[in-house]
Amino acid sequence: MPEINILYIFQGIATMVASDPLIIVARIVLILLGVAFVYLGAKGTLEPLIMIPMGVGMSSVNAAVLYLSGTTMGTIFLDPMASEPSQLMDVLQINFLQPVYTFTFSNGLIACLVFMGIGVITDIGYMLISPMRSMFIALCAELGTLLTFPIAVAMGLTYKEAASIAMVGGADGPMVLYTSLILAKDLFVPITIVAYLYLSLTYAGYPYLIRLLIPKHLRGIKMDPKQIPSFSKAEKMTFAIISCVLLCLLLPVAAPLFMSFFLGIIIRESDVKPFVEFISGPVLYGSTFFLGLLLGVLCEAATILNPKVILLLFLGITALLISGIGGIIGGYIVYWTSGRTYNPVIGIAGVSCVPTTAKVAHKEARDANKFAVILPGRWARAFAA
Amino acid sequence: MEYFWGSVKLMLIVYGLAAFIAMLVAWVIKLIFAGIRRQRVSAATKVDASAPSEAKPAGSASGKVV
Repeated sequence: MPEINILYIFQGIATMVASDPLIIVARIVLILLGVAFVYLGAKGTLEPLIMIPMGVGMSSVNAAVLYLSGTTMGTIFLDPMASEPSQLMDVLQINFLQPVYTFTFSNGLIACLVFMGIGVITDIGYMLISPMRSMFIALCAELGTLLTFPIAVAMGLTYKEAASIAMVGGADGPMVLYTSLILAKDLFVPITIVAYLYLSLTYAGYPYLIRLLIPKHLRGIKMDPKQIPSFSKAEKMTFAIISCVLLCLLLPVAAPLFMSFFLGIIIRESDVKPFVEFISGPVLYGSTFFLGLLLGVLCEAATILNPKVILLLFLGITALLISGIGGIIGGYIVYWTSGRTYNPVIGIAGVSCVPTTAKVAHKEARDANKFAVILPGRWARAFAA
Repeated sequence: MEYFWGSVKLMLIVYGLAAFIAMLVAWVIKLIFAGIRRQRVSAATKVDASAPSEAKPAGSASGKVV
């Protein structure tokens, strides 16, 4: 009877036993963290659309480490470091998520698809109501991006790495992914994971920041709906196409993101229903699903264990915190300059993350005063009802 | 230290540029809508102006009939 090596059969355990103690601890922690993400996502504490696939991917990839050849350990999920053409051709035929990663993730396509989906579900009418105020608040809410950059440089990161992690202050996942892919390819995995982890925490953290910095009577300020003009579809499309061309002309590096976002807006406003349903449904949710899954799978202990991860965790939360404070300061400035008629909670909605921070602002205003709805469309519907 | 101050300078330049572009886009929006509104007002004025002159012949014609 041939000799049976139990550890050879159960390679997930064999590789864990044979690994460096630090890797063993990291694998166990990441498996548990993945399970926690699934639980907190399903419960609604964290963003479920990202956290459920990410948690499953994270737990599975750290459990499924095996011997690829001889003593080389790895997984058959994907290899983010494969870049040589012959190596890439090999892994494309072996790793089941490699095609999705190579053809959509590492070239930024998935970020563009998410942006297109966001464009289709975004009503720019709210921004057009008061473009100067909107832009001013957005600039204030980028304070975290601004200040985190020199802080990161002072802590030893290069300019490109510092710029990539500072982008977390813009609270926009696809943007962080896109920037880190261009500027800091070696660090893009931990930076993107830190970004998405914190972005899902804005749901939980920003309400406390709002309550801490804005007293209840100001959170409950009612906005006057009579001051809100409406814009026709043609006006919104005119704005979208002109802005798209102008921004592509000024910043060609970010042109794929601009084009995707404004294309989404134009499709929404042109009312091409099959495209609207396709992009806001299968494209957006499909991209979000694979984005979450790939982020989780990229959290393999050997890949993520980078001495800079602790630093990135600190800088990410700093960027988001300062951006939140900046947004609220912007909200206060507009409140004072508008004759105290503007709800300063709107400032937090400037911290991008398209619907998330706006939803947080809306909910906080409603909690303070049930008539103080600050999203005009819903306000109108709530009053009509 | 020089590297750090370089990053501060870079930060200020990039922020200045971002602020300029943001305000430029805001002005573009304002200009577009100012143009659209002006066009609407002039179109409405034309309609108002042409409405009585179109109504007159109709009125006089009906007057003649009566």
